[in-house]
Amino acid sequence: MEEEAKGKGVSRRDFLKGLGGGAIGTAVISTGLLDPGKVEAYPTESTGTSRGKSVVNLKVNGKAYRLEVEHRETLAELLRDQLGFTGTKIGCNRGECGACTVVINGRNIYSCSQLAVWMQGKEILTIEGLVKGEKLDPLQEAFIEHDGPQCGFCTSGQIMSGKALLLRNPSPTEAQVKRALSGNLCRCGNYNREVAAVMAAAAKGR
Amino acid sequence: MAQKEFSVVGKKTPRIDAYERVTGQAQYTGDVQLPGMLYARVLRSPHPHAKILSIDTSKAEKLPGVKAVIHHQNAQVPWASGGHTHRRYIFNNPVRYVGDAVAAVAATDRHIAEDALALIEVKYEKLPYVLDAKEALKPDAPKIGPDGNLSVGPGNFSAPITEEWGDLEKGFKEADRIFEDTYISKHVNNAQLEPRVSVAKWDGGKLTVWASTQGVSNARTDIAKDLGLPLSKVRVICKYMGAGFGNKNQAQDYDLMTAVLAKVTGQPVKIEFTREDDFIGMHGRWSSEQHYKIGVKKDGTITAVDLDAVTNMGAYRKQSGNLSGTDFYDIPNFKKVIKPVHTNTVVAANYRAPAYPQSVFGFASFLDQIAHELGVNPYDMFLKNRARLYHHKTPFSSNALEECIQEGAKRIGWNDKWHKPGATPGLKKHGIGMALGGYPFRPGLGAATIRVNPDGTAHVLVGVTDIGTGAKTTMAIIAAEALGIPLNQIQLTNGDTDVTPFCIGESGSRATAFTGPAVIAAAEDVRKQIFNIAAPQLKAKAEDLELKDGNVFVKSDPSQKLPLSKALSRIGSEIIGRATTNPTFKGVEGKSFAAHFAEVEVDSWTGHVRITRYVAAHDSGTILNRLTAESQIKGGVVQGIGMALTEELLIDRPTAIPLNPSYRDAKVPTHLEVPEVEVIFIEPYDPYGTFGGKVVGEPPITPAVATVANAIFNATGKRFKVLPITPDKILQAVQV
Repeated sequence: MEEEAKGKGVSRRDFLKGLGGGAIGTAVISTGLLDPGKVEAYPTESTGTSRGKSVVNLKVNGKAYRLEVEHRETLAELLRDQLGFTGTKIGCNRGECGACTVVINGRNIYSCSQLAVWMQGKEILTIEGLVKGEKLDPLQEAFIEHDGPQCGFCTSGQIMSGKALLLRNPSPTEAQVKRALSGNLCRCGNYNREVAAVMAAAAKGR
Repeated sequence: MAQKEFSVVGKKTPRIDAYERVTGQAQYTGDVQLPGMLYARVLRSPHPHAKILSIDTSKAEKLPGVKAVIHHQNAQVPWASGGHTHRRYIFNNPVRYVGDAVAAVAATDRHIAEDALALIEVKYEKLPYVLDAKEALKPDAPKIGPDGNLSVGPGNFSAPITEEWGDLEKGFKEADRIFEDTYISKHVNNAQLEPRVSVAKWDGGKLTVWASTQGVSNARTDIAKDLGLPLSKVRVICKYMGAGFGNKNQAQDYDLMTAVLAKVTGQPVKIEFTREDDFIGMHGRWSSEQHYKIGVKKDGTITAVDLDAVTNMGAYRKQSGNLSGTDFYDIPNFKKVIKPVHTNTVVAANYRAPAYPQSVFGFASFLDQIAHELGVNPYDMFLKNRARLYHHKTPFSSNALEECIQEGAKRIGWNDKWHKPGATPGLKKHGIGMALGGYPFRPGLGAATIRVNPDGTAHVLVGVTDIGTGAKTTMAIIAAEALGIPLNQIQLTNGDTDVTPFCIGESGSRATAFTGPAVIAAAEDVRKQIFNIAAPQLKAKAEDLELKDGNVFVKSDPSQKLPLSKALSRIGSEIIGRATTNPTFKGVEGKSFAAHFAEVEVDSWTGHVRITRYVAAHDSGTILNRLTAESQIKGGVVQGIGMALTEELLIDRPTAIPLNPSYRDAKVPTHLEVPEVEVIFIEPYDPYGTFGGKVVGEPPITPAVATVANAIFNATGKRFKVLPITPDKILQAVQV
C-alpha cells in the first residue's frame, strides 16, 4: 500500500484557513477523503499575491507610523515583529484565545485576525500604551494588587479587553465584566482574579 | 506543629515581577528577536502509523527564502526524554501517530516556512494501527514498539505498575458488601496559553537556547545529552514562561530541531508551534479505564480495594501512566495493577498532577456511589476513610486532611444543603458534592547563591523559571525571611544556566520544596559572614548577633545595632553565600491534602451544568505567599472543571485524526463557566517544609473533577462514569 501525500495542489495556509488544522489538511488529502488528483492544482506562485506589499498609515499608542506591510501579515505580527510591541501575545493565531487583544478605535479586537493592510487610518492601543510616563493605568495597578497574572501570557489581552469595557462603560457589573472578558482565555484559570481586578479598577475610576 | 512568627512569609505579597507582567515588558521566549533570525515550522504525519518510503524536499528548498529542511534522513537526533520504552528521535520512521514530526523547515519568515511545508513530498506506506488501549493489548493488535504495546521500559517506566499491601483476600472476607465498577477518563490537553517556541543560536561551538521550559537545568542536561555536547557548551535561558502544566519539562523535540536548524544554516532560528501542533504534537493527560473492586463494612469503612486499569500513553512513553487517586484514603488491604499502553494516538504524559484528577474521579465517584447504596452520607464516607497513614503504614510529616474536610463542609453548609440525590423538584436540580485530593510532598536536591552588596541590598540567584506559580516571588520571600533583609531590597535572577545554579525545575510541585531549603541555607552562609564582619564593630561575638529589617544587632541588647550598609561599608566586594541542599525524610512520608466542595445547578431541560459555589480547603502546610497560593488553588479548580464538564480530545475512528485540536473545539473553560472559588488554608507547620510549607501547585486540580461529578450525581441521581459529563450525556440519563 503506497501513496503520495504531496503538499501540491493546495497550499497549507489555504487549508489552515479552510479546515482550521494543518495536520487535518494534509491528512485529508492523503487518506483519500479528498482525492488529490481531483483537487485543482494551484501553481506555487498562488501565494505570490498574498506576498504583495502595501503601505499603511496607522497610529499605535498615539504615535503615527507609515509602514510597508505584506498583504498576508497580521496586525499581531506587525505589532510584534515590525514595531517591537511584544506585550501583545499570540496564543492561537486563529481568533480563539484572546492573548493578542488590542484596542482598535475603542473596541477590543483580536489582532491575530486582522490583516495589517486593513489598519489604514486606525488608532491602535496596546498594553505598552497604557503606561503614561511612570504612571500605570489603574487597570494595571489593580492587576498587580489582585494577582491578575499567573503565567502572564494572557494578561495583556485580559487588560486590553478590560480597558475597552471601561472606556465604554466605567461602572460595569460583575456579569458585564465576565461577558466583556469572555473572549480572553486564561488556562491558569485565574478568572476570579482578572474579574476582581477590573472591578477594582472601575471602582477606583469612579 | 507550632506556628512560627514570620515577618515576610504568610502575607499577601504581589509578585516581584508583576510590573513586567502587566506592562508587556516581560520577555517570553517568543519575544526574543535576534539579528538574522530564521523562522521554522514543522510538518507532521497525516497517518497514525506509516513507514516513510521517501522524502523529496527539492521543491521546498527551491522556494525563495527557504534555508534548510531537516528530516529523519539528514537529522537523526535522539530525543531521549521523548520516550523511554523505545528509541525516539526528533523525526521518526515509522511515524506512529497523526502529528508525529516528519520534517522541519527554516526560512526567512514564518509564512515562507509554512508555504515550504506544503512543497515537501512524502511517500508513505501505511501500516495497520490501533487507537484503543484495550484493543492494543490483544495479541493480534498492530505492534507499536518492538516489544508490543504494554509499555515496558527501564526503572520508573516498568509495566505493569503494581502496588500491594495488606491481604486483599482477607480484606474482601471482612467486607459486608463488595462493589465492582468501571470509570473512564479521556485525553485532555494542557493547553497552556504560550505556544511552544524555542530560539537557538550557536557561537562557535557553544549553543544558546531560549526555551519555553519548566526547568532550565534539566533542559540543558537533556539537550547536551541528545546533541552530544558537554554541559559547558549549552546555555538554556527562560526568564518568563507562559505556563506548561507539565508539558514543557525536560528538553522537547522542538528545542533540538531549532538547535539543528541553527547549526545547519549558521543563523539563529526560532521555531514556533501552531496551536494545532501544540494540541497534537506534544502531549496531554493520559486517559484511563479504571476497574475497581471495593470491599466495605455496612458503615462505609473500606476493607479492601483492588484496582485494575489501563492508561493510554499514545505512541511513546514520556512519563509514568500511573493512577494514584486512592492515596488520600486509609485502605488496609490494597492492590493495583496499572497497564500503560501504547496506541497510535497523540502522546499522553504529564499534565498537572499527572496521576491524580482522572484517578480521583474514578475512585471518589465510586466511593460516593457506594455511600449512596449503603445509605451513608458522603461526608461521613469521606471523613471516615480519609488517609491517616501513608499506604496504611507510614506516618505523614503533617496531615490536616480532617480539618480540611470539616472546615470546607462548614463553609459550604453541607449539613443544611445535602439532600437525597435527585430530590430537587422542578427543571433545575440543585446538587452538592465533595471529594478528597492532594499531592505528594518531599524535600530534595536544591541550590542557591546569594550575594549581599556593600550597600546592604541582596541578589538571589536561583534556577527557577516561574511558570506562573509565583516561584520567583516565593524565593525572594524565603530569602528576605531567612536573611533579615526587607523584600524590596532583594533582587532575584532566575532561569539562566550560565548564571543561576541547579534547579529541579517546576514539575511535581517541587520548586519550593527543593530550592527553598537551599535559599535558607545560602542565607545562613551569608549571615555568618556578615556577623563575623560586624562583630568587632558591635564589640560582640558573632554568634550573639542577629540580622532583621536590614539591621545587625546584639540579640541580648537590640539597641546595639548597625544598619547593614554601615556594617559592610569597609569591605569593597559583595559577600557571597551559597548552598546545595538535599534533605530527606526520616521515617515519614509527605503530602499536601485537600477537600473540595461544590454546589451545582443542573438544567434537566438542556443538560447544562452551572457550578454555583465552590469551596476548596487545603493543607499545604505554611502558606508562604497567600496571594499567589490562592491563585494557584483557584486555577487548579478551573482546570478540573474543564476536565469534568467539557474537555476531551476526540479522534476520528476511520482516519485516526484528532478532530478538535483548538481552544474553541477543545472547550477549555472561559470566564463565563467559572464560579468564585473560595479558598481555605489549614496550615500545620510541616517540620520538613520550607518554613513549614509543603506543596501548592498540583493539589487543587486533583479533587476538582470528582467534586463536580459527585455534585451532579446529587443533583440528578444519575452516576456518570465516563468523562467529560457533557449535556448530551446528562440528557440521555435524566428523564424530564
